[in-house]
Amino acid sequence: MDYLDYVQMTRGQQISYNIKSFFMGIPGAIKTIFMYIGYFFKSLFGLIVNGFKGYGQRFAAGDGATKLSYIIMGAGNMAHKQFMKGVLFLAAEVAYIYFMMSFGMTYVSKVYSFGVAVDPDHPEVLVDGVVGNVPIRYEIDPDFGMKKIVNADTADDSNKILLFFVLTLMISIAFFVVYIANTKSAYATQEMLKEGVQPIGFVEEMKTFLDERYHITLLTLPILLLMIFNILPIIFTIFMAFTNYDKNHNAFNRLYWWVGFENFADVFYNSAEKSQTFGKVLVWTLIWAVFATFSNYILGIVLALLINKKDIKYKGFWRTMFVITSAVPQFVTLLVMRLLLDNQGIINAMMGTNIRFLADENWAKVSVIVVNMWIGIPYTMLSVSGILMNIPEDLYESARIDGANAVQQFTKITLPYISFVMTPYLISTFVGNINNFNVIYFLTGGAPESVDYYSGAGTTDLLVTWLYKLTVSEQDYKLASVIGIIVFVLCATGSLITFNMSKATKNEEEFS
Amino acid sequence: MVSKSKRIVALILTAMMASSALAGCASGSTTTTSSAPSTNSSAPATESKSDEGSKAGGDNSTDASKVEAANLDSDEVMARIKDKIAEEAAATGGTVQMTLWCSSDDKSFEEGLKKEFEEKYADSRYSFRIKMSPIGEDKAGGKILEGPKDGADVFSFADDQLAGLVEAGAIAQVANLFNNNVINENSAKAVEVCTVNGTSYAFPKTSDNGYFMYYDKTVFTEDDVQSFDTMIEKAKAANKAVFFEMGNAWYNAGFFFTAGCTIKYENGVQTANFTEGDMGLNAVKAMCHIAENIGAGFEGDPGSAGANAFIAQGFKDGKLAAAVTGTWNGPAIKEAIGADNVGAAKLPTVLVAGEQKQLESFGGYKLIGVNAYSAYPITAQALAYYLGKAESQVKRYNVRGLIPTATAALEEEAIKNDPARMAIAAQEPFSHAQGQCVAGKFWGAGVGGYGGDILNAKGKMDDAKIREDLAKIEAKMK
Amino acid sequence: MTTKQPNIGNMQAGYAKQRKIANITVYIILAVMVLVWIFPIVWLVFQSFNGEKGVSLATFFPEKWTFDNYIKLFRQEGLENPMDPNSPMIVLPVDRMPFPYGRWITNTFIVAVFSCVISTLIILMVSYALSRLRFKSRKMLMNFGLILGMFPGFMSMAAIYNIMEIIGLGKQLFSLVIVYSSGAGLGYQIAKGFFDTIPRSLDEAAKIDGATRNQIFWIIILPLSKPIIVYTALTTFLGPWADYVFVSYFMKGDDTKYTVAMGLYEMLRPETMHEWFTVFCAGAVLIAVPITILFTIMQRFYVAGVTGGAVKG
Repeated sequence: MDYLDYVQMTRGQQISYNIKSFFMGIPGAIKTIFMYIGYFFKSLFGLIVNGFKGYGQRFAAGDGATKLSYIIMGAGNMAHKQFMKGVLFLAAEVAYIYFMMSFGMTYVSKVYSFGVAVDPDHPEVLVDGVVGNVPIRYEIDPDFGMKKIVNADTADDSNKILLFFVLTLMISIAFFVVYIANTKSAYATQEMLKEGVQPIGFVEEMKTFLDERYHITLLTLPILLLMIFNILPIIFTIFMAFTNYDKNHNAFNRLYWWVGFENFADVFYNSAEKSQTFGKVLVWTLIWAVFATFSNYILGIVLALLINKKDIKYKGFWRTMFVITSAVPQFVTLLVMRLLLDNQGIINAMMGTNIRFLADENWAKVSVIVVNMWIGIPYTMLSVSGILMNIPEDLYESARIDGANAVQQFTKITLPYISFVMTPYLISTFVGNINNFNVIYFLTGGAPESVDYYSGAGTTDLLVTWLYKLTVSEQDYKLASVIGIIVFVLCATGSLITFNMSKATKNEEEFS
Repeated sequence: MVSKSKRIVALILTAMMASSALAGCASGSTTTTSSAPSTNSSAPATESKSDEGSKAGGDNSTDASKVEAANLDSDEVMARIKDKIAEEAAATGGTVQMTLWCSSDDKSFEEGLKKEFEEKYADSRYSFRIKMSPIGEDKAGGKILEGPKDGADVFSFADDQLAGLVEAGAIAQVANLFNNNVINENSAKAVEVCTVNGTSYAFPKTSDNGYFMYYDKTVFTEDDVQSFDTMIEKAKAANKAVFFEMGNAWYNAGFFFTAGCTIKYENGVQTANFTEGDMGLNAVKAMCHIAENIGAGFEGDPGSAGANAFIAQGFKDGKLAAAVTGTWNGPAIKEAIGADNVGAAKLPTVLVAGEQKQLESFGGYKLIGVNAYSAYPITAQALAYYLGKAESQVKRYNVRGLIPTATAALEEEAIKNDPARMAIAAQEPFSHAQGQCVAGKFWGAGVGGYGGDILNAKGKMDDAKIREDLAKIEAKMK
Repeated sequence: MTTKQPNIGNMQAGYAKQRKIANITVYIILAVMVLVWIFPIVWLVFQSFNGEKGVSLATFFPEKWTFDNYIKLFRQEGLENPMDPNSPMIVLPVDRMPFPYGRWITNTFIVAVFSCVISTLIILMVSYALSRLRFKSRKMLMNFGLILGMFPGFMSMAAIYNIMEIIGLGKQLFSLVIVYSSGAGLGYQIAKGFFDTIPRSLDEAAKIDGATRNQIFWIIILPLSKPIIVYTALTTFLGPWADYVFVSYFMKGDDTKYTVAMGLYEMLRPETMHEWFTVFCAGAVLIAVPITILFTIMQRFYVAGVTGGAVKG
C-alpha cells in the first residue's frame, strides 16, 4: 500500500487503518528488534573478521617500515615521505602509553573490584589489605579529642574509579581506531610510492580539512562535547545499573560493587514491591503518553483549522494569544495551574465545587492530561498553521476543477497532508511525553501517594519523574539507572513501531 | 529490507559510532587522541596509620551527668583553637573557605552570628570567607548525602536525619573540647538526641521542632481547646475551621501513638506495629471521625500552597480559628489576628475507640552538624559550637522566636513564659522524640499519603480495607 | 450537476447566511478558548500587583493594587543589625538580600548568552555538515544522534556533575553553559531542514569558481540563513531561563549561582511562600514579558523551521 492508496481512503478508514497497523506493527517491531540485534552481532563479527583479515594482509604485504608501524606508530608514514603525519601518529602512541601508565591502568585494574574487596559469603564485610583497596582512614586529633578523616582525597572512591574507567575505555577505543588508521595509512602510502605517486604533503593534507574533509572540521568539536558530556555520562550511568550504588553504598563509604542483573531482576519480578510499583508507573506512563500526545495532536489541529479558516479575521492576533501562554516559562505556568486547581482554588470557587483536582488519584490523572493540553496545544497549532500555509494551492485548484466541495477538499487534501507531514512530529511528541518531566513534577510532584507504591513513587509519577526522585531524594542511583534504561528502550521501541507504521503509508525513504 | 536493516544495524552500533566519528579525524591527522585528560586525582596513599572502619565508635563518650569542660574563652584555649584554624587554613592559602547552610528565613540572623564568630576568632594568620546558603533544616540532611564534597561544612538539620547521616559516615563527631561544653550547657534530653551509640555527633540548636495548637482566643476559651471535638463544634458555629495536616506523616503519626501503636527506629531498623490488635485500626478510625467534618469546622489538607502559607492565609482571611503547627508559623498568625488574640496550648484530646485520649505527637530538635569531609574539621566545629551555644540560643530566641535547648536559656524569664514554649512543655509528656522513632523508611512508607486517602474518603472507610492498607504500610517500612 | 436548475440567487444568500453563522460560531469558540488559555496568565499578572501578601487562592481581582512587588525584587529591606530586632530597617545590599533577583537575572543572562553563542555555532556546524556535505558516516551519525536523544535528559545528571567536579567546574555557572550547549549537536533537525531547502546549485556554482566548502559555508550559505540563525539563537538563548532541574542539582544550594528559574522557585519554599508569593508572581511576569516578545518574533521562524524540517526529513 502506498501513499496514493492511503490518501484515497476516507478519514475513518485511515484512522482504523492506522490503529490496525499500529497493533499489527508490534509483533513486527519486536521481531525487527531481534533481527537487528542479530544483524548487529553478525555485522560486528564480520567487521572483526574482516578487520583482522585486512590487518593481517596489510602486514604481510607491507614493507619493513609498514611492518614497523604495527609497533611504532607513524613509522610507515615517516618512511614514506609523510613525515609530519608520522610524527603525529607517533605522538599519539606516546601520549596514549603515557596516559595508560600514569593514569588509565590504575582504574582499569580497580574497576573489577571497585577498589574494594568483598568477601562473597559476607558481602557486608569488607576485606582489608587487598591491593588497590585504600579505605578511608581516621585519625584522632589528641588536642581536641576528635576523630577525623585524613585521606578524603586519596581513598578509593568507586564513583571515580568507574568514571575514569569509562573515560579510559573511550580513549582506548579511540586510540585503537587511530592505530588501525595508522597501519592503513602506512600501507596506502607504501602502495602509492610503489605506483610512483607522491603522497600529498602535510600542508596540502591539512587544507583538505577546509574542503573535502570539511565535515571533520565541523563535526569534531560537537562530537567531542557529546562524547564527554553526553555519551560518557550515559555509559557511566548504564554501568551503574549493574552495581549496588545507592544510599548505603555510596561515595561516603566510597564503595559499591558489581551485582550483575540483580537490579533488573528486582524491577521485573524479584522484588514484589519494586516490580509492582514499576508495573503501575509504566502503565500510567504509557496511558499518559498516548492521551497527552493524541489529545494535543487532534485538538491542536482543530484549533489551527479554526484559526486558519478562510473568513476568520485577525489570524495573527488569535495565534499570538495562544502563543503567549507557551512563552511564559513552564515552571511558572504549571505552578499557577497548581494553585488554580487547588481544593479551595479559584476554579473550584467559580464552579462552587470542592473537587480535589490534584489530591484525588483519578482527578489528578485527568488534571495533568488536561493541563498538558493547555501547555501543548499552542505548539501543535503553530506547527499545523505553518503546514496549512505550505499546502500547495494547485492541489486545491485541481480538486475544485474535479468538482470537489469544501468537505471533500478537507478530507482528501488538508487532513492527509497534515497527518503526512506531522508523523515525525507525532513520534517526537510521543517520545517527548514519555519523557515529560515538567508537567508532572511541577503540577503534582507525583502525588497523591498511595500505599501500593514503593517509596518515592506516587500515583501520577511517570518513569522519568520517578527516576528524578530516585536520583535526588531517594539516592537510589542503581534503580534510577535501570529505570533510565527502560525509558530509553520504551522510546526506541515506540519510535520504531511508529516509524515502521508510517513507512507503510509514506513514500519516504529516510527516517530522521 | 536488507538495506533498511543494514542502516539499523549501523544505528545500533553505537560503540562503533563513537570510534568512527574519531576515525574520520584519524585517517588524516591524529589530533584527537593525543591529548591525555587532565586529572587532579593523586595516587592512592599507601601508608596507614589507624585503619578504623567508617562506622567504628569514637572515643568521646557522653554521660548524662555534667562533665569537666574547658573554658573556651580562656586565653590558652583561644590560642589553641586559633593555632588549629591557622593550621587548617594554611592548606588553602590562609583563607578559611567554608559553606554554612540554614533555612532561608533564618539566613539573615545566622549571618549575624557568623560575623560575630569571625570577629571573635579573627587572627592575622588567616581570613574567613564563610558563605551562607539557604538550605532548610528539612532538606539539609538529604543534600549532604548527595556527595562528600557537595555539602556545606556546617549545616542545620532536623534531628530525625541524624541516624542516616551517622550511618553514611557523613557527619563528624563532636570534638571533646566542644562536646563537654555542649553537655554542660544543654538539657540532658537535647544532649541525648545528639548522641548515637554513645557518640555525640551534633550541636543542639532549638527545641521547638515539634507541634502544638495555636488558636484564636476570640473563638475558643481555654476549656474549649481541651477536646478536638469541642473545637470543631465551636469552630463550625463560628463558620471557621480547625486545621490539622492529616496528609503529613509527621502530624498524623500522633494518632497512631495515641491509639497505642509504637513507631521505633533502633539499630538501623525501622519498625511499627500498626497491625497488632486493633490499635492501628483505632488510630485510623479516630482520624476518620475527625475527617468527617471536612469543610464544616475542620480542614485537613493545605492544598497546593503548602501548610505554612495555608495557615497564614487562613487566619488572615478568618477561615481558620486554630491550627496544629509549630513556632515557625507563630509570627504569621500573630500578624494575622493580632498577638493578643493568639493562644497556644498542648494538643487536644481525640476520640479513640470510644474514649477521649490526649493526642500525642512528635517532638524534636533542630541540630547543627559538621560535615565529616570538611577541609576545616576543627574550624567548622568551632563555628558550629558558636552557633549553638547558650548565648546564641538566647539571641536566636530574641530575634527569631525559636525556643532554646540550653538549660540556662530556658530559665530566662521571657523564654520561660513564652506561650509557645509553655505549650511545647505541656505537650512534652505526650511527645515522642522523632530521632528515636523515625528514620529509614518511615517517611516513604505512605503514612502521610494514607492521611490523604482518609481525606479523599471524607472519613468513610471500610474496616477490612483499613487493616489491609495498614499491613501494606507496615511492610513497606521493612 | 442535476437536472433541475437551482435558483442561484437564493442559494448564494443561503450560503452567505450559513457561512456567517459558521464564522460567528468559530469566533465564539476561539474567544472562549482564548479566555481559557489566557486566564492563568492574567491571574498571574493580577497577583503580581496584589497589595496583600499571601496566597489568596480564590481571588481574581486583588483588593489592593500595588507596584511594590516589582520593586521588592530589586530592593529588599531588612534589619540594619540582624542580631538586634530593634535596629532600624535599611535597604539591604545584594549579599544580604534573601532573594537577590537582580543577581539571578545577571547569572541567567550570562549563561544564556554563552550557551546561545556556543549552541548556535554547534547547531549550524552540525546541520550544515549533515545537510550539505556527503561523507561515509553521515547516516550513521544522524541515526546515532536519534538514539542518543532517546535517553532521558537527566538520567546521567549525577554523572555529569561528577565530571564537572573533576574538571573543576563544580558549582560554577559555566558548568551550566556546558550542559546546555554540549547537547546542542543533537538538536540539528530544524536547522538542517532549513539548509536542505537552499538550492544545491548555489554550492555547485561556487565550487566551479574554486571556492572551498569552508568558504561556501561562511560566504554563501550563512548569509542566506538569517531566519534560521535568528531562530536557533533565540531558542538556545531562551532555554536557560526556564531550566530548573540542572540548576537545582548542580548548584548545591549556592544561591549566588542560581539562575532566575531556580531562584524564583525557591521563593515558594514552605517557609517563605506566604511572604513572597506575590513577589514571585512579579518576578515571573518580569521575565515572561521579554520572553513573550522574543517568542512572538520567533513565531514565524518556528513555523518555517518546524514545517521545513518535517517536510524535508
